[in-house]
Amino acid sequence: MRSKALLGLSGLAGLLLVIELLPRLGLVDDSYLPPTSEIAAALADELGTTAFWQAVGDTLTGWAIGLLIAVVAGVLIGIVVGAVPVLRAATASTIEFLRPIPSVALIPLAVLLYGTGLGSVLLLVVYASFWQVLVQVLYGVADVDPIADETARSFRFSTWARIRNVLWPTALPYVFTGIRLAASVALVLAVTAELVIGAPGLGKLIAVAQTSGAVPDMYALIAVTGLLGVAINLAARVFERRSLSWHQSVRGEVPA
Amino acid sequence: MLEVQGLRKVYSTGGREVEALRDLTFTIDNGDLVCLVGPSGCGKTTLLRCIAGLLTQTSGTVKLDGHEVSGPPPGLAMVFQEYGRSLFPWMTVRDNVSLPLKQKRVPRQRRDELVDQALEAVGLAGTESAHPWQLSGGMQQRVAIARAVAYEPSTLLMDEPFAAVDAQTRADLEDLVRALWQRLKVTVLFITHDIDEAVYLGRRVIMLSSSPTVVQDEITVDLPAERDQLHTRADPRFTELRTHVYEQIQAAKRGRPASIG
Repeated sequence: MRSKALLGLSGLAGLLLVIELLPRLGLVDDSYLPPTSEIAAALADELGTTAFWQAVGDTLTGWAIGLLIAVVAGVLIGIVVGAVPVLRAATASTIEFLRPIPSVALIPLAVLLYGTGLGSVLLLVVYASFWQVLVQVLYGVADVDPIADETARSFRFSTWARIRNVLWPTALPYVFTGIRLAASVALVLAVTAELVIGAPGLGKLIAVAQTSGAVPDMYALIAVTGLLGVAINLAARVFERRSLSWHQSVRGEVPA
Repeated sequence: MLEVQGLRKVYSTGGREVEALRDLTFTIDNGDLVCLVGPSGCGKTTLLRCIAGLLTQTSGTVKLDGHEVSGPPPGLAMVFQEYGRSLFPWMTVRDNVSLPLKQKRVPRQRRDELVDQALEAVGLAGTESAHPWQLSGGMQQRVAIARAVAYEPSTLLMDEPFAAVDAQTRADLEDLVRALWQRLKVTVLFITHDIDEAVYLGRRVIMLSSSPTVVQDEITVDLPAERDQLHTRADPRFTELRTHVYEQIQAAKRGRPASIG
């Protein structure tokens, strides 16, 4: 376990070293790829500015609100559609049609509706992450064990009690997978919206750095978006493991 | 009293009709312990699900205490063969046993009492905070039995509950069912494919034919009420009865009644 982490870190160190050496040895033009040390210095400068933290805040706000809307809508609609076979059959082809539409294709529509404000970011983030959650919830609902459900029915559980005590716990691992996927996608779309539409946030800062020729800053900001992605994924996994201690994927082997 | 009258169940899938149950009629008096045996695939589970109100029959009626069953009736509890799937893995043993009582709106204090008593009765006191998957198969089925017992049913349906546990655990669980039945005065309908088990447990044994199913034969088990694994199974009368049931089941497989009485 320890040696694996060490190996991973040394790989990362190797990458940083290569980026340091490529421009220094003249293999690439340092106006396109500045050495690691310069990017690090630019990052340190950025960390000291309020504009940077404002941008991080904006990006995370768009990400969080969008993700929340997508998760709530995905879970509610997923449970209703998944639990009613007629609805499931009626919506299957519609879902398969709407789901593959890339969220970025909606950029013109978003600009038309909301201009460069938060609304545009939210539209794109929600559209992209909603399907991730919905599809997982549908799988989760379909995974309810018939015996568990018959048990609940034989003890005369109400419909609500069956949803609450059988359907929801069964679907929960799927919901978490959906949230984890959606969280990553939401970040991608939040940054894309800022970059392309010019909504305030890290994406916009990257665009500004690029047009003003501040290449090391641009790389520094790109690295920050990457780090945010890693942090979000790690947080989602920790949350998942804590909530699903009873589940096979988490509990491991139990001597019976 | 449980009355099954002319019960018929036909499954139709993709234009094909399969008659699982043809015509079943029998009654079970309150407080009786009746075992249903039949060749495998004879629709025992279908029958039990119709009685439990989980499945709608094609024709015929099921009445529990005079009321026609059209959905899961009150006062009925069921123990499934697949204990691992019937217990909820996301809940502790205590919560598993307690949840049906909560749904029945039993007050909290009474609920705790019933759960403690039921777990005590099945010999599982002290496992309340464990999760079902941390227990052995036999213990898990005890949890499922405790859940049914705590519910205070007037009728207990058991669908091949011991088919998936090892032989020694099975003997213990059989004695547990007899003991609980005698103590709680509950009506028990016990489905099994095991002839010895049926004769050992039951006060009556109903034999089913192979599918499409009718009642093949019925006997009253005139063994003493106090039974134990060693002596009861060595009793010549036990052997006679099990031979009779065995012959009937064999005849049922061939599709006609045996002539030996």
